[in-house]
Amino acid sequence: MITGTRKPMEEIRAMIAPFGRVLVAGCGTCVAECASGGEKEVALLASQLRMDAKLRKISLEVGEITLDRQCVYEFIDQLTPFLENYDAVLSLACGAGVQAVAEVFPQWVILPGLDTGFLGETREAGLWLENCRGCGECRLHLFAGVCPITRCAKRLFNGPCGGSRAGQCEVSPEVQCAWHLILERLERQGRMDCLEEIYPPCDWSRHQGRGPRKIQREDQRA
Amino acid sequence: MESDQQVHTVVFFCQQLDPQQDLHSRDLEREWGSGIRLFPMHCSGRVEALHLLMAVEQGADRVLLLTCAEGRCRYREGNLRARRRLEYARSLLEEIGIEPGRLELRMASSQSPRHIARILEPILREPWSHGPSPLSMGTD
Ligand code: SF4
Ligand code: SF4
Repeated sequence: MITGTRKPMEEIRAMIAPFGRVLVAGCGTCVAECASGGEKEVALLASQLRMDAKLRKISLEVGEITLDRQCVYEFIDQLTPFLENYDAVLSLACGAGVQAVAEVFPQWVILPGLDTGFLGETREAGLWLENCRGCGECRLHLFAGVCPITRCAKRLFNGPCGGSRAGQCEVSPEVQCAWHLILERLERQGRMDCLEEIYPPCDWSRHQGRGPRKIQREDQRA
Repeated sequence: MESDQQVHTVVFFCQQLDPQQDLHSRDLEREWGSGIRLFPMHCSGRVEALHLLMAVEQGADRVLLLTCAEGRCRYREGNLRARRRLEYARSLLEEIGIEPGRLELRMASSQSPRHIARILEPILREPWSHGPSPLSMGTD
């Protein structure tokens, strides 16, 4: 899931200031899961914006809509009948969603209502943790399903640094030491031999430095 | 200062507080007139920040959330969850310059169910510092 957090009200106010009719558009998938851009959050923000406008004696019309996804054209198309009634769309999707919508409707102003965060998991209600950097060369099979690039502060591939205390990282003691977890799990699985190999560093050229990445699959094309 | 009756109060409450709330709420609404609206919930933990915000947006000057006494929630933690939701809704009001104190949580003091009016009346008679909502000023 891609996480996000709502932008501060001041930033949102400034973005929408030139527009009199704003459509707050949520995304029902990742950002709904992390409670920042789903239907509920759309309703909360729309209510805040209406009250804010009233208090500041500004005329502002606020609409609400939540698409299943904002990064898939079939769903984005659901916006088509509504756009005529608005001057701008305030999207509560991740940056990918905002850009996909802007791509489909280049004549419309599409504004980001969230600051997009990380690839994460919902660990428990109200707690989201980053656990993947999207490095482009996943080695989770070697590390018992714990990513050392994301979860080890020193990004070590070949064993722990030795500084952890009671299973917590020496750099950020509130975080579990990734290598402590890896070792515990490999041991339990009887796979400590995974550690005998020397793993070369991550090949970051797959990740950055060559512009945006893309995946193209012929079998999936229409 | 405004008299209590002029304050528009919306009350969300756990219906375990008063099993007869259906009947009693009507009595109370009759007595307090348009100044009060009551919304029973299966558990106060069902309350969402959106309920509280919508109440303010729709003209409430004061929003009360009544929960069971500490440790007495039938669903264990509903009243604690209710508090967290209320705190969140308060922060959203604060962001747009509305006094967060317009949203209040009160935990029942008694462990046993009571007439909802008996719970509310003393609260409503306490002096209250906020007055009409800034949203209603100069509009109607
Ligand atoms: S637009 Fe972003 S948040 Fe929404 S489904 Fe796509 S990736 Fe997830
Ligand atoms: S190895 Fe790369 S792809 Fe796999 S979890 Fe870590 S960052 Fe993500």
